[in-house]
Amino acid sequence: MAQFVTTSSSTDVFTLKITGEVDIAAKDEMVAATETCLDSPSTTIEVDIGGVTFIDSSGLGALVRLRNEAGLRRKRVVVTNAPASVTRLFEVTGLVGVFETRTDG
Amino acid sequence: MPTSPEDSTGTSTSAEAAEAATERRVLASHPRRPRHPRRAAALIAAFCLTLTGLATTAAARVDESSEQRLLDVQTKQAAAVLSTAIRLIQEPLSTALSIQRVADVRDETAAFSRLMTAYVGEGRQFTSASLWKLDNDSMTRLVSIGAPPALKANQPATLEYLRSSIDSPTFTVESVSAGDQDRIAYAVGDAVTDYVVYAERAIPADRRAPVDRESAFAALDYAIYLGPTKNLQTLSTTNVDPSTLPLSGTTAEVAVPFGDTVLTMVTEPRGHLGSPLGARLPALLLIGGLLISGFATRTGYQLVRRRQEAEASTATITDLYEQVESLYGQEHELSERLQRALLPHANPVIPHLQIASEYVAGAHGVDIGGDWYSMIALGEDRFGFVVGDVSGRGIDSVAVMAHARFTLRAYLWNGDSPSDALEKCSHQFDIAVDGHLTTAIVGVGNWRTGEVTIASAGHPAPLLITDGTLEYVEVRPGRPLGVGVSTYECTTFTMEPGSTLFNFTDGLVERRTEDIDTGLARLASTVGTVVEKSVDDLVAHAVHTLRCEDASDDIAVLALRWQPSSEARFHGDQRAPAGARSFVADQLPALVGTDGGPLCDDVVLIVSELVTNAVRAGAGTVDVQLQSTPGRLDLRVSDDATGWPTPRGASAADPDGRGLAIVELLTDRWDAVPRNPGKTVTATWFC
Repeated sequence: MAQFVTTSSSTDVFTLKITGEVDIAAKDEMVAATETCLDSPSTTIEVDIGGVTFIDSSGLGALVRLRNEAGLRRKRVVVTNAPASVTRLFEVTGLVGVFETRTDG
Repeated sequence: MPTSPEDSTGTSTSAEAAEAATERRVLASHPRRPRHPRRAAALIAAFCLTLTGLATTAAARVDESSEQRLLDVQTKQAAAVLSTAIRLIQEPLSTALSIQRVADVRDETAAFSRLMTAYVGEGRQFTSASLWKLDNDSMTRLVSIGAPPALKANQPATLEYLRSSIDSPTFTVESVSAGDQDRIAYAVGDAVTDYVVYAERAIPADRRAPVDRESAFAALDYAIYLGPTKNLQTLSTTNVDPSTLPLSGTTAEVAVPFGDTVLTMVTEPRGHLGSPLGARLPALLLIGGLLISGFATRTGYQLVRRRQEAEASTATITDLYEQVESLYGQEHELSERLQRALLPHANPVIPHLQIASEYVAGAHGVDIGGDWYSMIALGEDRFGFVVGDVSGRGIDSVAVMAHARFTLRAYLWNGDSPSDALEKCSHQFDIAVDGHLTTAIVGVGNWRTGEVTIASAGHPAPLLITDGTLEYVEVRPGRPLGVGVSTYECTTFTMEPGSTLFNFTDGLVERRTEDIDTGLARLASTVGTVVEKSVDDLVAHAVHTLRCEDASDDIAVLALRWQPSSEARFHGDQRAPAGARSFVADQLPALVGTDGGPLCDDVVLIVSELVTNAVRAGAGTVDVQLQSTPGRLDLRVSDDATGWPTPRGASAADPDGRGLAIVELLTDRWDAVPRNPGKTVTATWFC
């Protein structure tokens, strides 16, 4: 089960921290968290997926939807701390380069 | 077989309890009625003595009654004689009176005198006789013969007496005395002519009269009384001492008319009147009865005592027989319990193996045999199995069976191949020592690959059932254990998914009257009809069909079906993908090994994608099956929804439509097959 925690860390950056398994069961919560992020005044949305243990196409789709919505509102989305399994999935699905990624120390 | 002290104590305690139970049963089943020879003898004696007493009494009664009857008869005869004697007295008197009536015309007495002279005198009827004529109140004695009559003339008493004799229709009788002599006086008178004939008869002083041996009185003592009164005064005649009168004992009494009175005669038999046998019969019966009673009592006593002894012997034999039966039954029960205790209580759980086993003891009344089966999880992905048969029967066989079973198990556990395990065992079994031969199929297998290696020590080869094809595994049999050191040859084969290896002992196929090939063919045809069934049903059917009710041999069967797949069913909601991932993650290590990390991640991801698609398509239930065959892993996801999986070629900006793309990319092959309803999507990896 996935958990979503949103934090306004500064005026510029709004953080969404996702942990657990992100699949179809997490869809509704993911949508709600996405709305929160988009409604914030921050220009940058950082999605920390360091605690994600599993993600499938449903979860990827939710991330893509967040990225698309943010682009419409001229916000920037950065995926941080992606685990190897998720990185591999990005590679497999051709999403590498679609998401701006960063790994914190 | 080593026995712990607890074991031996337990055995002896249960044996004692069983013995006590046997004793109770014997007592309960023989409620002996106590028979005392003395009591029986007493009963017999009482019975015989009673019979004797009754018979004796009856005989005595019969004799008594017969005596009385004889006495009565003889007494009547005597009375008749007496009557005749009376007539001898009466007739001369009557005749004399008739003559005198005629003579009255001539008034003479000569005829009277001539007639009576013949009757009067010593040794004749009368002592004295006289003729009297009454004339109103006077009387005249016309003639007197013999001794002077005691009747005094010219006395009123005499007149009275004479007158009464005229009035009497018969003659009158009276006792009179003449000096010291008692006499009986007889008088008979004629009313027309008034003549009275008078006579007197002397009675002996002692009243005794001898009796002729031939007379009616010969067998009787008697006493004759004048008149109905019986005393010494009226005693007329007797043949016994008057002082011993009256007669007593068995007596008879009869009254004989005598003039105007009667003679009362009392008689008593002088001896026994009837036959001598009648008199002796009661005594004879008594003596005979007593003798018979004694004999019967003694015989009865001996019979009862011998019967008691015989019953005691029979009871003892029965007891012994039942004890032997009970001991035999106890040994049989003990062997069977031991046998069952040594068989696995439950087979170990081995991945991808469906295991069914059965042990059937021989028919009741036959000693238990030494068949066994054994299933061993050897760790990692290996398993071992043994099916064996120890020759002979009884506890010894079971002990050798235990030895063989645990020794083979230990070698397999230690990593030995089946041939090595058997070879090592061949050093340890010797028919010369324990008297038994042991045959066995020993196998080890890999439940991941289905590879199985077996070796045989003189044991029938197992039947391999693959997709409806049945064949006995070609394994070169080595020598049975117990005939010396031997080497064995391993045969290796790979089971197909869903195939079954059917191991058995010869009790399942052997019949006394046919060769082994016939039995093997029958087993194959029997099993061939139920290959579609579960392995449990297959074993149950084979044993049920092939087992002889009266078979003396026992049967052990161990069937292994290799089914390298796992299935799970999920409710078609949003939690289904998580459940399916968890299930696959649990099953994969058993299917592909713990070192298949990247493959495991992919399979988990793919099952999540496929189940998510099914849930989105509106499936009610989703079935997930994992099947591992050598070099290949199949994941099947089946649902009952109508949608059909169609890859959509999503661009980077598309939020949806990546699922099947992932499937396409992360599997070696995938396809979809329609079901009714729904479809099955299969993802395949080759390793």
